[in-house]
Order: sequence, then structure tokens, then C-alpha cells
Amino acid sequence: MRTRRVKNVAPMLDPGDPGWASVPVEQVSMMSTPLAMQPTPYIRNSWEGREYGRVEALEVASVHDGQQWALRASWRGVSPAGKDFPDALAIALPVRGKPLLALMGAADAPIHFLRWQANKSGAVSQIATGIGSSAPGPALACSAQARAKGDRWQVVISRPLGGGSDIAPLVAGRKTGIGFAVWMGGNDERGGIKAFSIDWAELALDA
Amino acid sequence: MSKRQVAMVMDLNKCIGCQTCTVACKTLWTRREGMEHMLWNTVNTQPGTGTPHGFESMGGGFRDGVAQRGQRPSVEDFGKAWNFNHEEVFFGGKGDVSLAADGGKHGKGPNWDEDQGGGEFPNSHYFYLPRICNHCTHPACLEACPRKAISKREDNGIVLIDEDRCKGYRFCQEACPYKKIYYNEVEEVSQKCIFCFPRIDEGVTTACSRQCPGRVRFVGYLDDPEGPIWKLVTKHKVALPLHAEYGTQPNVFYVPPLSPPKIDDEGNPTDEARIPTEYLVSLFGDGVHESLKTLERERERNKRGEKSELMDLLIARKWLDMFGPFQKHPREVARNRPIPQNQQKPRAQQVSAIRFYTKEEFKKGGRE
Repeated sequence: MRTRRVKNVAPMLDPGDPGWASVPVEQVSMMSTPLAMQPTPYIRNSWEGREYGRVEALEVASVHDGQQWALRASWRGVSPAGKDFPDALAIALPVRGKPLLALMGAADAPIHFLRWQANKSGAVSQIATGIGSSAPGPALACSAQARAKGDRWQVVISRPLGGGSDIAPLVAGRKTGIGFAVWMGGNDERGGIKAFSIDWAELALDA
Repeated sequence: MSKRQVAMVMDLNKCIGCQTCTVACKTLWTRREGMEHMLWNTVNTQPGTGTPHGFESMGGGFRDGVAQRGQRPSVEDFGKAWNFNHEEVFFGGKGDVSLAADGGKHGKGPNWDEDQGGGEFPNSHYFYLPRICNHCTHPACLEACPRKAISKREDNGIVLIDEDRCKGYRFCQEACPYKKIYYNEVEEVSQKCIFCFPRIDEGVTTACSRQCPGRVRFVGYLDDPEGPIWKLVTKHKVALPLHAEYGTQPNVFYVPPLSPPKIDDEGNPTDEARIPTEYLVSLFGDGVHESLKTLERERERNKRGEKSELMDLLIARKWLDMFGPFQKHPREVARNRPIPQNQQKPRAQQVSAIRFYTKEEFKKGGRE
């Protein structure tokens, strides 16, 4: 996956910005998280035989301008209003070490998440060191804008380039890994009940 | 496994359904925004649908040790707090406006079928069933939570939700077979009865038990041979758990209600109890038979003027003895209490007797 350099990211924080039309889109395959990996017997028992994580692919494009990085993800799965849980998207970036995406990191290899959910504005920064461990992450000027177009979500999540103690490094001219998770709130998906991108995809930022 | 377990026994022969316990709890603990519909303590008429309505058919708990899928009760299932048009009725200047809840479009309240009960005259019957979180030995909520946000205190077995860890996934609500966990939509966390742990820690019994005018509730440690709980549960075996078949080993126990004889078609009393014993068995298990027999036997003994430890205990002549080691007056240990209603500054337009604090106000104990 490649992040292309553009002159100015700012207008592209709007998912409907025409600038996105010229950025190549890549498909990211998604699958439901394995039931056996759900952390409690209750969740495993109560979701046995129920479908979840049905989003099969995300369409992803990303840009940076040397200061700011923005990623637009689009997928089919807009839940009806009035449900208990919101539709949501999370981007995972490794902070250090080689964390397993499926295990949501480890004590010595945390994963930095930027999460958007449909019932709130903006994005939140979270850090995880294992399944069920996500906690408020490092302060970061991240943002998210979303629009539902028909049955598709278009979400742009953005953050500054650079890094920090628990901020996953995103540096122009360098590579890192990126992972994704999507929740369909209308299907009661929350926590580990979601679709995820199985493993890290390589993310290469133009110099 | 906790080293000790605090527990409660409620004597259903004495509960008059006055809801003083409910109000004591509501006033003390559930006055923040998002808690309007919460009644950590409820008192319902049995036979009846309970709170949330129909909770006994909402699943959860364990069968043969296996966690069972359950439903999440909605705010409507619990019974929403109604908004009344007091302002319009009292100050609106129109003589023809009547008091109405939620504009006349209210749903079921939390105590919807109060005093309806069951049976046909002359054998109609009911009794009251107060319920709190059971602080189970095998808590389905704790085991369901993927966030490890629920813990059982090692020193006293009280089950608590860590609101900083909770993410509002509500698996706990689904898993709890007693449906005693609420969701706060404002704070986006699950909340429930805390067995008044800040009071228990200071040697003060729970608000619901201390405020009970009927002397219904006993509090103490399950294994304390000097305390009331051990005597009622283990020694005399008259106090029984509600729906033990749910498999969570609840630590709230009930003394089942005796009732007058059922009347036959000729109007004569029969040997059957008016509250059908099989109904009580459906709630409290087979132990009901022995419990009722023991209660009747000891009651007769008392009538004959003989000594009965059990009757003395249940009559609760010494009020404070009901609370085991938790006999201190709250005043002795008071600090950071919310300001009493009559000392708060009046809020513009305030009509309801209960004012809900914002989270920030609550942290400051209501002080401005």
C-alpha cells in the first residue's frame, strides 16, 4: 500500500473532496475475527452460529503532504439508525517491535489505533498491548470525517506525520505496517466481534 | 475466590412494598445524568413480570456450567422514568390541562404490575420481591466481560464494575440472568448495585437495609456463625437463593412467604397455602418445602411461649443485630456525602423531587 505525496492534505480531510478521485484505491481483504479468539466463554457461546464481520473488503487510499497524513477508507455497511452500537473503523499502526495484529499487540510491542465511530465526531487515539487491553492512547492531533453515501461509508482519518513515545511512527520515505478493523453496529458488533484485516499490510510513504 | 462474602437475607413475610429501600438507593447512588431509569434496588409484586419486565425469560447465566446467551434489557424493558407536565398543570394558566406522563404516550413503568399478583378471589394472592445485584460467587457478568472491567472483591465478595475500564459493550447485561445491570447512555458505561461498599468498608450497612421500615433485610458475612446470615441460610436453612438454577451462586437469599390457607368452593379453609407452594418452588427451589415447614414449626413454638432462636431472629427485636458487623451509624463515618435535597440551592424550573447531578457535580458532592 502506498501513501502518495500531495501538495496539501487539508481539503482532502473531507471524504467527498474531488482530490481523492486521482488517488489510486487499493483493496484490503477483511475477515471476521476467529470465534475461538474471543476472550470470554460467554462471547464465544453467544456468537456461535451467528454471522459477524461480514465486511469483506475495504477500499483504501492515502496521502500525505510532508506534515499531515490522511487515509480514506470506504466499505459497504451502513447500519440503520437507533441501534445499540455504532458502525466504526479503526486503523492500526505498530508502535515498535513486531506485534501480532490478531493479538492486538503485546506488552513490549504496542499497537496504536485511530478509531472513528459513527455516533461521535472525530477520531480517538488508543493504545493496546493485547486483546481487551485498549486504553486511551497518546495525545495526537488526529481527526476523522465521515459520510454515508447510500449503503457505503466513506471515512477519512488523519494524523500528523512523525512519532513519539507511544505514537506509531509515520515518516515520509519510510515503510511501516497498517491494519484495519470494521464494526457493523447494527449487527451488535463491538469489541472483538468485528471484521479485521488479518495481518499487517505494508504501508510505504512517498518521500 | 473471595476470602469472605457479604450477603443479604430478605424476609418476604415482612416486606410491605413501600419502596423505601428503592428510594434510599436511588437518592444515594443513581442521581447522575444517564441514571434516570436506574433502580439498582427494585421491589416487584409476585407473581408478576418483575423489573425489567419479563427478566426471567431473558436468558444468561449458566447451564451445566456453560455460559448461556442472554438478551440486553432496554431502557423501556426496565421502565423509563416518566416526565410529567407539572409546569404546565400548575403554572400554565389553563384549567383543563391534566397531569400526563410523557405527553400521555408513556411506556410501562418499572413497577408496572404492582399489586396485581395472581389467583382468583377468594384465593387471590401476592407478595413483594425486593431485588438487588446478587453479588454472585460465580458472576456471569464478570466472566462475560472482555475488558476485565468487572471484579469481585477478595475481602468481601462485592462485585464491582470499573467504569474506567468499561467500554459499554454490555456483554455483562446479556450474561446476567437476573438482569440487574443498567447501561448509562450518557457516560457510556454499565452500572449496577455496589452493595454500598463505601459504607460496608466503614462498618455501615447498606442504605436499603438500614432504611427498611419493615426490618426485612439482614446483612452480614455468609460464614459468620455469630451473624444473622449464617444462621438463616446455613443453620436454620430458611433463607434460599432466587433462581439457583441460573448457576451463578447468588449471595442474596430470601425467606419465602407463608400465606393463609386456600379457600375451597364451599368457602372453607384447606390444607393448601394460598400462595401456591409450587410457585414459590419455581422461584426459590425445592428448599421451599423445608423452609416453610421450619417457619411454621418455629412459629407454633413461639405461640406456645417456648423459646425460638429463629423467630427471635426474624422478628428482629434488636434492629442493629440484623446487620452483623455493619452496625455503625452513617453519621459516624460521613464524609463527602452529596448535599441533602433541602440544603441545595433551588434550581430554576425544578419540579421533580429528585435532581440529577452531572458527573462533575456528583464528584464535588453537589457543591458549586
